[in-house]
Amino acid sequence: MAYKPQFGPGTTAVAENRRKFMNPGYKLQKIRDVTDEDVVLLMGHRAPGSAYPTAHPPLAEAGEPKCPIRKIVVPLDGAKAGDRVRYIQFTDSMWFAPCHPYLRSYLESWRYRGVDPGTLSGRQIVECRERDLEKVAKELVETELLDAARTGIRGATVHGHSLRLDENGMMFDMLQRRIFDVKSKTVKYVKNQIGEPLDKSIDLGKPMDDKWLKAHTTIYNMNGGTAFRDDKEYVEWVQRVHSLRTKYGFMPME
Amino acid sequence: MAKIERAQKLFLKSLKEKFAGEDIAAGKTVYKRLGLAQSPRKREFIKEGQAVALARGISAYDPVRCHLGGIPLGQRQLTSYEVSTTGVFVEGDDLHFVNNAAMQQMWDDIRRTVIVSMDLAHQTLQKRLGKEVTPETINEFLHVLNHAMPGAAVVQEHMVETHPALTDDCYVKVFTGDDEMADSIEPQFLINVNKLFPAKQAEQLKAAVGKSLWQAIHIPTTVSRICDGGTSSRWSAMQLGMSFIAAYHMCAGEAAVADLAFAAKHAGLIEMANLLPARRARGPNEPGGLKFGAFSDMIQTDRKYPHDPAKAGLEVVAAGTMLFDQIWLGSYMSGGVGFTQYATAAYTDNILDEFTYYGMDLIKSKYKVDWKNPSPKDKIKATQDIVNEISTEVALNAMENYEMFPTALEDHFGGSQRASVIAACTGLTTAIATGNSNAGLNGWYLAMLLHKEGWSRLGFFGYDLQDQCGSANSLAIRPDEGCIGELRGANYPNYAMNVGHQGEYAAICGAAHFSRGDAWSLDPRIKICFADPSLVFDFSEPRKEFARGAIREFMPAGERSLIIPAR
Repeated sequence: MAYKPQFGPGTTAVAENRRKFMNPGYKLQKIRDVTDEDVVLLMGHRAPGSAYPTAHPPLAEAGEPKCPIRKIVVPLDGAKAGDRVRYIQFTDSMWFAPCHPYLRSYLESWRYRGVDPGTLSGRQIVECRERDLEKVAKELVETELLDAARTGIRGATVHGHSLRLDENGMMFDMLQRRIFDVKSKTVKYVKNQIGEPLDKSIDLGKPMDDKWLKAHTTIYNMNGGTAFRDDKEYVEWVQRVHSLRTKYGFMPME
Repeated sequence: MAKIERAQKLFLKSLKEKFAGEDIAAGKTVYKRLGLAQSPRKREFIKEGQAVALARGISAYDPVRCHLGGIPLGQRQLTSYEVSTTGVFVEGDDLHFVNNAAMQQMWDDIRRTVIVSMDLAHQTLQKRLGKEVTPETINEFLHVLNHAMPGAAVVQEHMVETHPALTDDCYVKVFTGDDEMADSIEPQFLINVNKLFPAKQAEQLKAAVGKSLWQAIHIPTTVSRICDGGTSSRWSAMQLGMSFIAAYHMCAGEAAVADLAFAAKHAGLIEMANLLPARRARGPNEPGGLKFGAFSDMIQTDRKYPHDPAKAGLEVVAAGTMLFDQIWLGSYMSGGVGFTQYATAAYTDNILDEFTYYGMDLIKSKYKVDWKNPSPKDKIKATQDIVNEISTEVALNAMENYEMFPTALEDHFGGSQRASVIAACTGLTTAIATGNSNAGLNGWYLAMLLHKEGWSRLGFFGYDLQDQCGSANSLAIRPDEGCIGELRGANYPNYAMNVGHQGEYAAICGAAHFSRGDAWSLDPRIKICFADPSLVFDFSEPRKEFARGAIREFMPAGERSLIIPAR
């Protein structure tokens, strides 16, 4: 029987959202349009339209050694061209942002080739060859994985994921990379992810309302959302993982 | 499992003070971005930084220009911190060890300490040299030794010596398990086990030490600062040897002196911490070689508050996170300032205290553990099911408190802070309930997994290493794979490079013993040595001492004002 991934335990909407986001068979809902140029500007690695800086010559010219593994693993376009490895990094508010660090790493591992996710508490980075990264980043920014107010695109000074929201419902950002435009009621990025001012603002649209956020979030939080203890199946699964690991370490012959 | 409601959260008062005028349960605030001016300490830093730059002609502290190209700290509230249970609110900066003399002295007092047996030396004197050793000679020797140990001459002519006022923290006392022998020692030289410990603990300690006589030696703070931890045994051994020569009228060069030196440097020596492997580049008596059991013995809260193992554990957490996170990993191994806030979360604002006492209520109500009367009798059998049950409830309760009080979450703004606190209350509760340190560690790791799954985040990258494979080594005791908690230490393989863990591990080890009413965790001699009220730092009240340091009321040792121009 072919292996059918289950993507994780749990009986709640939070667990179901996690499974959906990880499942490459599920098409992530697109909720905003961001141009390719704006994605490049938000990341701030190169000027839009400029050539991709390279870290090595194109593979075709590199004279690669004969190697069966190289035949099996088809290089990404960026690897073929010798692109640098660059990154996009997100900060997700614990106040019901749609996506959260470990889930980001899991879903990126399920959905994209050639990515290197790194998971922390307040931020999650994904690195990739630059031209491939831009495609990945576009999906991460345009879809339901990102809420304009509760998700931040932040390369440094990420502080804010656990702080109270500001009066507009925005996650705190020390650098104020994005502002809430009271007139349009949309969130506009005025600085790139590293905090350098942009020549033009990039509008990511209206923040999603609380109802949407709580329906799409992937964090357990009893304060208005789903308490982790209420997902018995999930908690018991964690206990089981822990018990089996403990037992194996204690008496591995069993 | 039924959830226990605690009517009065211990952290509410702190949060109300920190976030004055705000609803601490509200999820929104106005970020006024008041910058550095919010903090008296930052204002002081700016003023002093300007004075430093002016005086030396080289730029110095200049946050307005240098922080993020002109965006200074304080875009959010720069809050104060209550050092837990002390009622003392301090600036975060005051808890960096550079700014806190009490923190420095705590580590100084450990690093400059060795314990040396007198029995081997007495055997050499009696059996090899035929000299008489009596209470009178021992007392005379201790007089000579307390003259010599700070750096004074006892045998030779035309010697330089150290200034007594610069080394006034250096002294030697002795202890024994033999009441009769103790009675014959002059009180000034005796660590009196009967007076310092509750009766039951004293009996255990005396039985363990027996008739042996041990010297608790504290070399000058200034010496161990200028040299290193490895100096403590060398300095002490030299002065011991010279004092024996003087007190027992020996020949300075006779072969028996080598026996005395060998006893002082090796055979009869108890160091506070082991030598580290070359890649760590540290000698003995440096923090990386400290065993968790030994560290929990150094902290004396269980002696002073024998009916509160939770408090005893929390004080070990505070002392341990300060030493292991702030000083060892944060400075010896890494450098910089960031590690301070990993550590302070565990001993400020009564948050960990609240979560831990919730655990105490739980084990009392559900498992009938009378935790206020420590005893091995009512400890719960540490089955996996019970460890899981207790750990799950305590960890989930902690998470829920962060969720219900957004200001608590904001206070512990980093995942590593929360991970340590959530796992610490879980580990402490499980250890206290079972009286088993490894069960406590096992609870710690379940808390980590629950945290990670519940919030889809944990700490910084290092938590991936240690806490996701921790379950598997928590009950292993095979070499290179595991060890009983008391014998693990800061250089235990998986623990060697990750902040936010080691102090709590030491506390979990200690808590298992505090809850059983044990007088010590690993070594009764270390327990007795640090009970000494003559030490500069009070090891029974680390948090109070840190608070005194923060508000600049702690007077440390090793000061140089005597030999420098007045400012």
